[in-house]
Amino acid sequence: MEEFFNRYKKELTWLFYAIAIALVLLFLREQLADKKAARIVQTLISGVLVGGIYGLVALGIVVINKASGVFNFAHGWMMVVGGMIFWSFFTVAEISVPGAALLSAATMFMIMTAVSLRSLLQPRNLTIAVGGALALTLLMTVGGIELKWLHAIVGASAGAVLTGLVVERFTIRPLIGQPLFTAVLMTLAIAEVLHGLTQIAWGTVELNLPIFVNPETNRRFSVIRLDSLKDMLGGVTIVRVELVIAFVLAIVAFVGFIAFFRYTSVGLAMRATSEDQQLAQSVGLRVRVILAITWAVAAILASIAGVLQGGAVGLSLNISFVALRVFPAVLLGGLESIGGAFIGGLIIGIVEQFGTFLNSSQQVGTDLAPYVVLMLVLVIRPDGLFGEKRIERI
Amino acid sequence: MANIHPAGVFDTTYEEDMSVDRTPRDKLWKNLAFVALLLVPLLSVSGPLGLISDQYVGLIARIAIFVIAAQGLNILVGYTGQISLGHAAFMAIGAYSSAILARELGFTFWTALPVSAVLTGLIGLFFGLPSLRVKGFYLAMATLAAQFIIPWVLRYPLEGITGGTRPLNVPAPLIGPFASYADDPIDDATPLVFQAGDPYLVDVISLELGRVDGAQPAIELRNPSGDIVPPGDFNMTVFRDADGELTGFSYIATKPGEYAVTATAEAGATAFRARVRRGKALSFATETAMYYIIVPLSVFLMFLARNIARTRTGRAFISVRDNDLAAELLGINVFGYKLRAFFLSAVYAGIAGCLLAYERNSLSLDMFRLDISIEMLAMLIIGGAGYPLGALFGVTFIRVLQEAAIPALRPWLLEILPVLFPFIEVVNITSAINPILFGGALIVFLVLEPRGIAHRWEVLKVAWKIRPYAY
Repeated sequence: MEEFFNRYKKELTWLFYAIAIALVLLFLREQLADKKAARIVQTLISGVLVGGIYGLVALGIVVINKASGVFNFAHGWMMVVGGMIFWSFFTVAEISVPGAALLSAATMFMIMTAVSLRSLLQPRNLTIAVGGALALTLLMTVGGIELKWLHAIVGASAGAVLTGLVVERFTIRPLIGQPLFTAVLMTLAIAEVLHGLTQIAWGTVELNLPIFVNPETNRRFSVIRLDSLKDMLGGVTIVRVELVIAFVLAIVAFVGFIAFFRYTSVGLAMRATSEDQQLAQSVGLRVRVILAITWAVAAILASIAGVLQGGAVGLSLNISFVALRVFPAVLLGGLESIGGAFIGGLIIGIVEQFGTFLNSSQQVGTDLAPYVVLMLVLVIRPDGLFGEKRIERI
Repeated sequence: MANIHPAGVFDTTYEEDMSVDRTPRDKLWKNLAFVALLLVPLLSVSGPLGLISDQYVGLIARIAIFVIAAQGLNILVGYTGQISLGHAAFMAIGAYSSAILARELGFTFWTALPVSAVLTGLIGLFFGLPSLRVKGFYLAMATLAAQFIIPWVLRYPLEGITGGTRPLNVPAPLIGPFASYADDPIDDATPLVFQAGDPYLVDVISLELGRVDGAQPAIELRNPSGDIVPPGDFNMTVFRDADGELTGFSYIATKPGEYAVTATAEAGATAFRARVRRGKALSFATETAMYYIIVPLSVFLMFLARNIARTRTGRAFISVRDNDLAAELLGINVFGYKLRAFFLSAVYAGIAGCLLAYERNSLSLDMFRLDISIEMLAMLIIGGAGYPLGALFGVTFIRVLQEAAIPALRPWLLEILPVLFPFIEVVNITSAINPILFGGALIVFLVLEPRGIAHRWEVLKVAWKIRPYAY
């Protein structure tokens, strides 16, 4: 008997998964039997759209975890900080010349450094950077309210990078060599401090961030009605435009960051560092600088996610809870897998929307379902779908 | 840290090496500290001396409650090396189960305390089960799931008995009633008047309903001026029989005064007869009285944890923390000991939750959010994880910071900050000081002294014992 189990262990495991999935599908069939097909499709669509943003949040957590082995519990509050900084620059009427110059210089420095660490030492790149900074300053000061988009993007990315660097320098770097538990608590402490600081600076009231507005009417978009599917699904499917735009932007950001990791020298250095820090150091990479840049990149990812989430559903301190729902997505996708982060985000988004759809009064979707998924992942497949297999069984 | 004794004291036996109080002086200091702690309520305004404000008595009681919870966490985190992010949820189970046992099933505090503690322990055991497959960070995620799943279950599926998002009143602990000296029948519109005088020796009124068919009887309590008494002045317990039928109520006055009880059958009730029984009982409704339950229990549980750490079980915990592979090779059942640590730690959390419920007299799920779990971990780190006194130091530090330092700082900050940063609105400062100072303190400790205050205390103690020769 035991020999049989050992011999067909893999097949039996897959059989077990198949039975479990079949049971879940049967349960869903039972639950969804009396619902309209249109509502189900609508829930699926909005789940995917919400999941896109979750994937972006998960990417930020995975990037830090891959590079430095720290699981960032403060990611939700970094989202809030990024979103709030974006809001401040978005709503401010005009920006002073020195401020604009400083922000432009910082942005150009960031862009050039992100391509390659030493690129500013070459005269050609230095000229491009100075020219770009001057042009950006001119645009920001002359453009006025028309170019508030530019203000907000430049200001928010500078703010996010600053947040990431400060957090890394003063809290994470002193912990090198400490046990895992210390790093977990440190990120929780950062979360508390960021919570307090955002509350002091921006208050607890929900802020209006009108980024997804119809440029012609300057109002919120009306919803898309998928009338062509009406006959097939037996009802009208409604899709929120804000979520679609946020999803598309999230995909763009996701692809952009994957390109950054694949094609720029800094991105390659980050991947090398995350593979093996000592080896990276021995081929001449500056591991400390790379770790600092990793935090800055993660902070930018958090800011983008914060802005998209804030624009789609409203900007308040509550969007930090999104990160709590993303933790299951990260574990589901695998702690080291960038593609897994996106898939995990999509799955959690769909699970959440279906939970809300089936039982809207008890907040099953947001308060229960992601954590049940988390428990299941931990019990069945702790390494996630695409994570590295660890041989640690005790 | 090696045991360092005063000059002339040497360990010659194993017992001497393991003893908690190595010299008579150690014992004397501990006993003096305990007696001093018990004398604190006598100094308060409601005691005979009236020197210090009542709020310090409450502060010490709350510190003692959280010391119990943090000590449980210390067993899990400090000794066994497992991370728990769901301890507040375990406290919530202890608090809600003890309150519901008292309200719905007529348990007294004294029986509800152990039952709820064991129940919490079993639920902690359940959430410790993933430690069979995962460890370290993954286990922390499993307890994080517990932190969300448990309050959800308390809030929605169990709303009927927990009250959901509304606060739940908890009766005060009693000893007694000693004598029941009245046994009056009561019917419609004949009010029953009784006196509730002394806050320590209270009147207990219990209404036994004969048979209630149909609707529930309306029971009203009015004070002499005819107003309905606010719920906070009374603790009410409902008794039901096995079928869930209402069989009676019990009222306990928590404030002195004269009250009248009327019982009216609602329309639709075909049979209704009530009988009132009155008696005196020793009540722990006041803060000072609860102090004498909480503080000795807390001290006892501290010593229990200290002694568990010295036994075979405690040594097994420490070996699991230091190197689980080596522990397994030594023949220690690692999974079994992890589960034991989860059970013990959840029992401590359950006791703390139960005491919190009875100390506050009112429960809400907001008292057990994720922040509180994080706060308890922070208390442990600041105090020193793995040290017997770590929990005490950490809880005292955070509580004193929150309840004494922040109120002292607030007016000063309210003046300074808006001047320095003109964009800040004054309204937002007050609620934001707490997380900033708390998180800041945690960061400072993690960077500068990850072993916590307890480590400094040990260093100080050694320096004192070997004075005046430092080497």
